[in-house]
Amino acid sequence: MKKLIFALGIILLTTSISQSYAQCNTEKHVEACIPKLQSGFTFLKSYNIDGQGGAKNKVEYSYVFTKGATYQIRICNDGEGTDGIVLTLYDSNRNSVASTKYEGSTLSSIAFPCQVTGIYYLTFTFEGSSNYCGGSVLGFKR
Amino acid sequence: MMKNIFMKNILLGLVVIVTISACDSKKKPSADEISGVLDSVKIEEPSISEDVISDIIQQIPSPLEISTLLKESDTKYDKSYLNDPEKISDYNSNYKKALALGVYGTDLGYTNIYEQNQDALFYLNSIKSLADDLSIGQFFDIGTIKRLATNSKNLDSLLLITTKNFNNINNYLQEQRRSNLSILLLSGGWLEALYIVARVSEKNPDNEQLKETIAEQKIIMDNVVLLMSFYVESDPNIKQLSGKFSKLQEEFNKIEIKTVYREPTYEVVDGMLVVKDNSTSEIIMDDKNIESIRNQVYEIRENIIN
Repeated sequence: MKKLIFALGIILLTTSISQSYAQCNTEKHVEACIPKLQSGFTFLKSYNIDGQGGAKNKVEYSYVFTKGATYQIRICNDGEGTDGIVLTLYDSNRNSVASTKYEGSTLSSIAFPCQVTGIYYLTFTFEGSSNYCGGSVLGFKR
Repeated sequence: MMKNIFMKNILLGLVVIVTISACDSKKKPSADEISGVLDSVKIEEPSISEDVISDIIQQIPSPLEISTLLKESDTKYDKSYLNDPEKISDYNSNYKKALALGVYGTDLGYTNIYEQNQDALFYLNSIKSLADDLSIGQFFDIGTIKRLATNSKNLDSLLLITTKNFNNINNYLQEQRRSNLSILLLSGGWLEALYIVARVSEKNPDNEQLKETIAEQKIIMDNVVLLMSFYVESDPNIKQLSGKFSKLQEEFNKIEIKTVYREPTYEVVDGMLVVKDNSTSEIIMDDKNIESIRNQVYEIRENIIN
């Protein structure tokens, strides 16, 4: 009986921990991110980056980029850095196009002047992240 | 004995807490909450997961991109390309309303990009009315939007707020497991953008960029038809529309897009990674393809707005 109660206690604890991770307020990060798009870029989409406290190691979205347009993708979270959130952009054949992890540093934005219309994948991963939580926005200009 | 009863009570309490907690975490807004305004035909959920549908919906580009291209290529604003904002009373089913909402959304974006704020207000009124009918009017703070629309200096804010609203509506409809309406909204919006670019291209037959833009819609066409295919068994309206879109897709399939991937190069400018995309693409098409696509688009659009 004691073991059963102990097991249920663990379940209860796990449930409350997972609920506390679910409090990642991506909306707050997205709202903060929109004004950070460079001047001249029009806002298109926002993306929630919720790694559920480390339970998820990848969050992925896709979008059709159009030849002739320049896209800016920006990552935001609390503080100045990206808290280990890395964006990698892949083309429709899963060729890596760009990554915010570049020459030893982790950048917070990418500008991509698209030359081939097609589906592109925006993959967010976590490398040494403490909050596993952030937001991202996509803007474009021609 | 007392100890056993005490233990059983604790156990029971824990089971109740865990059960309530588990139920609560799965709590979603009921689709029935908006059922009062939905069509009498109950749409069965598709066999494919909502997450997959949501992923495909996310891919579809904003019609704003086409309006921006038109403005950047020095083509003049032409109100006659747009659907009459006074026609909302013609749209008397949720199927028609959702499609028209998408159409008007694109028209609003077009007026915004060209800074035609007075026209934008007419479209905003129609959009608000249709959105209210579909129980998604809460996403439009019409007072704020109108205030922004009356001053051309607020163009960026107006674009931002309307783009955010449409994104929120799509997310909400998916959460409400009413992705069929979301798909109609997107399809109407995309077709309207294609219609406008087709009209402009017809008027400027030497503009190759516009023809290429039409041809490149092949990629989005595939997605739209795929999305509709999930509902053809359960939604007779979507089944009918899907038939027309599939015919249009056949025309798009005659166009070939060849791409050559080359490693990109990079530089860092002000803390931002700037990519130089060295890949190239070539579109193989002829004027007959474009003309045929244009004619079909005109026909489908006529059917949607009337």
